[in-house]
Amino acid sequence: MSLLIIATVALSGGLLLLLALGDPKRRRTAAVKSGAQGTAVRRLLVGASLLPGAAWIASGDAAAFLIWFGGCAMAGWLVTLVLARGWLDARQGAKDAS
Amino acid sequence: MIHLAKNQTKLMIAVHGWSGILLGLLLYAVVITGMAAVFADEIGAWSAGHVETRSAFERPFGTALRALGERTSPKYHDGVDLFEVGDHDLGVFFHRHETDAGGTLISRGMFYELGKDGRVIHTQAGTNEDVYGARNDNALSSFLVDTHVRLHVPNPWGLLLTGILGLGMLVAAISGLLIHRHLFKDIFTLRRKAKPVLLNRDRHSVAGTWSLPFAFILAFTGSFFSFYGTVGMPIVAMAAFGGDMQAMTEEVFGNPGKPDPRPTAIGNIDRITSDAIRRAGTPPTFVTIEHFGRVDAKVTTYHAPPGGDIAPVSLLYNGATARFEQTKPLIGKAPSAGGTLVAIMSPLHFGNFAGLLSKAIWFGLGFAMCYVTFTGLRLWLVRREEAMRSLDWLDRTVTVVGLGLPFALVCAAAAFLIAMPLGTAVTCTTGGFLIASAAVIVAGVVWPTAAGLGHAVQRATGIAMLLLPPLRLLTGGPGWAAAIMAEQPIIVALDIALLVAGGAMIWRGRRLQAPR
Repeated sequence: MSLLIIATVALSGGLLLLLALGDPKRRRTAAVKSGAQGTAVRRLLVGASLLPGAAWIASGDAAAFLIWFGGCAMAGWLVTLVLARGWLDARQGAKDAS
Repeated sequence: MIHLAKNQTKLMIAVHGWSGILLGLLLYAVVITGMAAVFADEIGAWSAGHVETRSAFERPFGTALRALGERTSPKYHDGVDLFEVGDHDLGVFFHRHETDAGGTLISRGMFYELGKDGRVIHTQAGTNEDVYGARNDNALSSFLVDTHVRLHVPNPWGLLLTGILGLGMLVAAISGLLIHRHLFKDIFTLRRKAKPVLLNRDRHSVAGTWSLPFAFILAFTGSFFSFYGTVGMPIVAMAAFGGDMQAMTEEVFGNPGKPDPRPTAIGNIDRITSDAIRRAGTPPTFVTIEHFGRVDAKVTTYHAPPGGDIAPVSLLYNGATARFEQTKPLIGKAPSAGGTLVAIMSPLHFGNFAGLLSKAIWFGLGFAMCYVTFTGLRLWLVRREEAMRSLDWLDRTVTVVGLGLPFALVCAAAAFLIAMPLGTAVTCTTGGFLIASAAVIVAGVVWPTAAGLGHAVQRATGIAMLLLPPLRLLTGGPGWAAAIMAEQPIIVALDIALLVAGGAMIWRGRRLQAPR
């Protein structure tokens, strides 16, 4: 069961990473002009990232839901911290400039 | 998001800032020790070198319990508490309930520690404070928990203080939610190369936004625990039981029924624990026996939440016949919404509802709370830096507490490791913490700059963390191979965590600029 919970946290964390990569405000502040996601894509990603949580609620597994929820909070913060270092944006910024 | 009028926003910013700056440093101390206390059991096993993994309740102890009952004065047969102490030894506390001079309900009696072979290895007469207080082998985890629960201030004032701090955290979380107009828009925005105000604002708001739901949960449940025994229960006792706390405790938490004081031998307690383990799926964490040696004896076993649930399980048995009676709600005789809410407060606060995985997540959330508190204090200072140079003392204080507290906690762990083999860990752990705190305070006064002080304290913390695993081995702790062979990998895991965290602290300390 623990592995399944970790897998759902990883799935939502991956979707949060995609969401962060295309976040318009983050890209603007990182001086990356292109690649910002549209509203529809972002809503779809948000919905998809919440699906595992909805599945845990539907299954009545309160413990798994709380772990998933806390894990997503940690994953979201981690994604923001990692992307703030600018490694990925630097590459995109160079592409934009060329 | 929530849009407030300009003057309301200003008011909320003032409430947020001042509640943070007035309570922030104490709150930080409570949160950082709470973060560590999530792993109190594991830290206890790591620090004391406990390698036994089998619960004391999985071993037969019925014969030893009966023998202890015979040698203990019947005046202490009102109740018996059974719980694990040391390296999965069994603690047995025969007691009666009394009200002390201050009107507090206490338990007084005889405490025995049974070794793994069922022999008594320690006997002690005293009250619940003596029995459940810090011992030589759990002094470190006990120190962490006591700091978190009441900041070492005597009860009830310590609990009231931490309860007020919890409410302060709740106020800060709500006001933070109200003043942040772009909560979701800014959730991924962290400008590392921005000006200090913007950088600190981003750090504070990003960590705060991601952990906001849990800030509510942790602050509310923490305040609940602080006020539950100090305010809530006395009010209920006054309102419904004429101020009789013992009567209220028996009615609400006990198993009230028609008294039958006829003497009879206690039932087969080993059969009870085996049955309880089968029903709950885990060994009990605590067992109580009411009216030991009487026909109306009742045995209650308390267990961690079963898989998929967050509410702990309690099972009730007839103490004389060892027959299972019912799954017992935490409050009252029948299940209720209130009882369930009270039951889930502890797992929600401590994150101990699903083993190491939930604890790891709660540890991370605790770290986020520390980060939010620390960056919030920094933000408040940075915003006033130009206008108020006179706040240098507060800047230094924030550095001393924010970075000095982790250093002092690591030094307390080092003091424990050195003192435990000598049998003086209870005083030396606190002593190590106080000496390290005093050193950081003195450094805070004499160091030329607050930034330089922060840099030095971080490096010192990192070095101290790196030294803990070898110190543990040098003072007789089990090696990695022995720990893994004994199926106690947590010792190895904590060693690795300390080495990694220590290395990271040194690396960060080296490149640390003024954290503003």
